[in-house]
Amino acid sequence: MALLEAIGISKTYPGGVVANDGVNLVVESGEVHAVVGENGAGKSTLMKILFGIEQPNAGALMLDGKPVRFANPREAIEAGIGMVFQHFSLVPSFSVYENVVLGSEPRSGIRFERHKAIAEVKAISDRFRLSVDPMPAVMTLPVGQQQRVEILKALYRNARILILDEPTAVLAPQEVQELFVAIRSLVAQGKTVIFIAHKLPEVLEISDTITVMRQGKTVGQVKAKEVTEKSLAAMMVGREVTLRVERKATDQSQRVAEIEGLRVVNARGTEVVAGLDLNVHAGEVVGLVGVEGNGQAETLEAVAGLRAIAAGTIRIADKDATAMSVLDRRALGLASIPEDRIARGLATGATVAENLVATRLNETRYVRNGLLDLKAIKANALQLIERFSIRVGGPASTVDTLSGGNMQKVVVARELAEQPKLLLVNQPTRGVDLGATQFIWRTITDARDAGAAVLLSSADLGELLALSDRLLVLYRGRIVAAFVNTPDLTPETLGTYMLGLSTQTADEMKAALR
Amino acid sequence: MTELFLTVFSAAFFVTIIRTTTPLLLATMGGLVADLSGALNVALEGMMLIGCLTAVIVSVYAPWYVAVGAGLGAGALLGLVMAFFSFRLKADIILVGFAINILAAGGTVFALALATGGDKGTSINLQSKAVPSVDLSFLDAIPGVGPVLTAFLSGHSVLSWIAAFIVFAVWYFLFRTPWGLWLRGVGEYPAAPEAAGIPVNKVRTWSLIVSGALAGLGGAQLAMFNYVGFTRDMTAGRGFIALGAVLLGARHPVGALIAALLFGAFEALAVVMPGLFNEAPAELIRMIPFIVTIAALILFSVRAQRALALRGVK
Repeated sequence: MALLEAIGISKTYPGGVVANDGVNLVVESGEVHAVVGENGAGKSTLMKILFGIEQPNAGALMLDGKPVRFANPREAIEAGIGMVFQHFSLVPSFSVYENVVLGSEPRSGIRFERHKAIAEVKAISDRFRLSVDPMPAVMTLPVGQQQRVEILKALYRNARILILDEPTAVLAPQEVQELFVAIRSLVAQGKTVIFIAHKLPEVLEISDTITVMRQGKTVGQVKAKEVTEKSLAAMMVGREVTLRVERKATDQSQRVAEIEGLRVVNARGTEVVAGLDLNVHAGEVVGLVGVEGNGQAETLEAVAGLRAIAAGTIRIADKDATAMSVLDRRALGLASIPEDRIARGLATGATVAENLVATRLNETRYVRNGLLDLKAIKANALQLIERFSIRVGGPASTVDTLSGGNMQKVVVARELAEQPKLLLVNQPTRGVDLGATQFIWRTITDARDAGAAVLLSSADLGELLALSDRLLVLYRGRIVAAFVNTPDLTPETLGTYMLGLSTQTADEMKAALR
Repeated sequence: MTELFLTVFSAAFFVTIIRTTTPLLLATMGGLVADLSGALNVALEGMMLIGCLTAVIVSVYAPWYVAVGAGLGAGALLGLVMAFFSFRLKADIILVGFAINILAAGGTVFALALATGGDKGTSINLQSKAVPSVDLSFLDAIPGVGPVLTAFLSGHSVLSWIAAFIVFAVWYFLFRTPWGLWLRGVGEYPAAPEAAGIPVNKVRTWSLIVSGALAGLGGAQLAMFNYVGFTRDMTAGRGFIALGAVLLGARHPVGALIAALLFGAFEALAVVMPGLFNEAPAELIRMIPFIVTIAALILFSVRAQRALALRGVK
């Protein structure tokens, strides 16, 4: 008998998006069960239904062979299901044990029994070999540890089934290995793990059974031993995929951006970029590698003029841009694709046409005598929608009606409508489906081939390796390794440096730091 | 000048400080609880003022403790109203707070006029009662220090002693009980307690109720001990000073207590100084507490900025 079964689950969101359409899932006790699929395949919706966040329109859930229904997460937790989301829900200033017991504290009378809480958290941590110290505040912990605090939370509430939503997305390769050790230890002690993912090598490594989803339907359930990465990818996408871009040979002699001694300090007063020297040349892509939060985002923001710097100089196209406004930098030929398209890249309530001219409102083409030239703005939008194949109702549709991939295309279209001299790109394909990813990669590479200097940061090592000419590894705001991208360079090599386990000497870096 | 020093270092002045601090301290604790839960209570001023009037009117017909309870209850009710509008009806909490302040400013004058039969300034025609002071003169019997102890500890309002206990109670609640953990979690990062099944809005609603109750209690002290009777706008910005004290006290009960004492001390100074300096207009001297509040907040902010600058931010 299966431990947890979902039969014919259907879910249509208000607005008519069919997220799940007759989905079946059979999870056996004591296994690691991966659910794979592209973004938008309906994995997250299915998990939200299992955890009681969403209610299905049709279908049934069976736990231990008995039909169940969860009106809210609380009921799911009581039934022994725990979920670790991609975005952690931890109170930053609270200690590990306070976060773990929050909501179900051991108490005597009105007193919160701290010692008991600490002891219990430590016991669980030891038992499942999670090696988390209960005392420090979670904001001081690296992401991998924070994730394990979330796992502890679920275990503290006696979860039998743990749902991990894309747990490896935020981790460096070595941290992924540590997570897998923890998962194996959990399974060895009788827990069941449901593992949502889209990175196939990891899925094949950790899981026993794999359920593949595509466009809201289950394509099939297979044993991990019986499939290959290639056959799994074909199941996921429904066709053979090759995510690769051809890059032209370019003239990389001209220096476009020169960053010297850059220091950035965040609002809490911690130094996040600690004396960075780097150059970007015309026709090359420089990839900033690192676990998130090691200064990549801050470096890009500093160059874009979006963040105050503590020290250093930034030169763009042979001009000192250190004190320049964003607008002046853009006039020098800077374009920027920010990390968070919704918060910083777009005005989601405004129309596609408005978003596409948002950076050009000082040009007489679109604004004359202080008035918008609506005709020119519409013509511009139509032309860009066509050129970047953005799937949208029309130039007058608001951006928030678009899918993630198409939103990103609007940002890319605006920034690359004209050939930039320096292009800053941060997480260009996060939450974007494979088709759009391929298109965005192609577009960035085209800009490079046409002579743009590109500074790229991404949490996806595959993306960095596919697009970059040179790779710089950042750890705690410093460059700890530099590589010229070759086919032999592996994510594992980068991973050792990303975690600060080793550092190249100045000599070793020299070749790749020109 | 010597007279000023003699006054400031006298037991009587200490008693004055405690008297002026008590309403402020109660409101500050109320502000602290609400602020830590993430529901900034800008209506402390209005809640205090309504607490004042309610206590005064009720005390005409009932014993003093019932009147104090009524002032507290009025504040709590306003806290509940604020929670209802901001969490159930999703109105902006700052705007709701100001609505309550405006309602209090006008409403108390209207209600006062109804209660006194037309007087829109003070409740001088009403026979309102006072909160008794605690007489500890038996301490005199202790040889040596007895008279000094009596001079410092005797004659405070019952509510001053209760306020001191409340500071401890708030500290204990925040840092030693599970619900204090909930409250601080809700204020700092609501998504976390929500995921743990803690009803975020319920926690905030209770915080606002307690916050209002404490402000109302502060109002009762103000209108039944510091002054006996109601005067229009008698809170004179104490609710806003309390908000300042919460920040100045680094959002910690002990810090808030020290900040409230600081403001209370300057208010006490403004009470005694007009008698000593005849040449300076009393109005000018009465501005001291407010100037000190503004100066303290500017200083605090400058120091915070400088601390950040030292670490290289901006």
